[in-house]
Amino acid sequence: MRAVVIGVHLRREDIEPVAEAIPLGELFLSGAAVADDQPLGDRDLVLRVAQMRASLLERATFIAIRYGFAVRSSEEAMAKCAPQIERWRRLLALHRDNVEMTLKVAVASTRPRPERQAFASGADYLRALHEATRAADVDPRFREAASRLGNCRWVHRDGRSLECVLLVARDGVERVRAAGEQLKRDFPEIPFLLSGPWPLEVFADDDHK
Amino acid sequence: MPDQSQDLSLLETLDHLLDRGVVIAGEAVISIGDVDLLYLGLNIVLANVDALIRTTERR
Repeated sequence: MRAVVIGVHLRREDIEPVAEAIPLGELFLSGAAVADDQPLGDRDLVLRVAQMRASLLERATFIAIRYGFAVRSSEEAMAKCAPQIERWRRLLALHRDNVEMTLKVAVASTRPRPERQAFASGADYLRALHEATRAADVDPRFREAASRLGNCRWVHRDGRSLECVLLVARDGVERVRAAGEQLKRDFPEIPFLLSGPWPLEVFADDDHK
Repeated sequence: MPDQSQDLSLLETLDHLLDRGVVIAGEAVISIGDVDLLYLGLNIVLANVDALIRTTERR
């Protein structure tokens, strides 16, 4: 048996009995048990993990691990995560009462995708693709209004949308939802989707630019 | 009639599960020119999951 890792948590009781708690030094990983022969792309498994992720967030804030990381033991988890543990402990203590909310906005302008044939190397092509993605932007008035909703980081996901990721106190989620409704009234021409709460995803990344 | 908000919520949930959060260093991630190749791979998984859900719903 192995476990697909869902997140990093401060306390064991934040995890059990929703998921398996895997000790990781002072912290714990939450995991969903998976049979050795079950592929991680299995539909039922993905949906089960998504449901467990939501249930875990209702209990306490955690750092989300991107789907696809599986371990067979606490020792294996320690070997792969040891350098991060102190940073994760600090982040979890700091953001114990916070969650993320995501405001996904359709971009106003895009730069065309580069043509693969125009580049001599794959690396040059990928760099150009990355730059084209980062060139996407939204109406600056909307950007300013969305940024006022709270502690926010803008993330380029693809060439068609931009995300404003907000760090929100758990008791501030309804306030942000109401502010999102107001944004819809103020900018009816700009399509966007406000979703959450989510665990720490973007704000778990100290290297965010 | 299917509830569109539920579909949207499921898609958002899957999008966050498959494309957000910390990537464990050395686990499978390969980056070239700031483009995360694992990210591309997981998008393929997401597309498959999405297709599977639609297929199941049509039955």
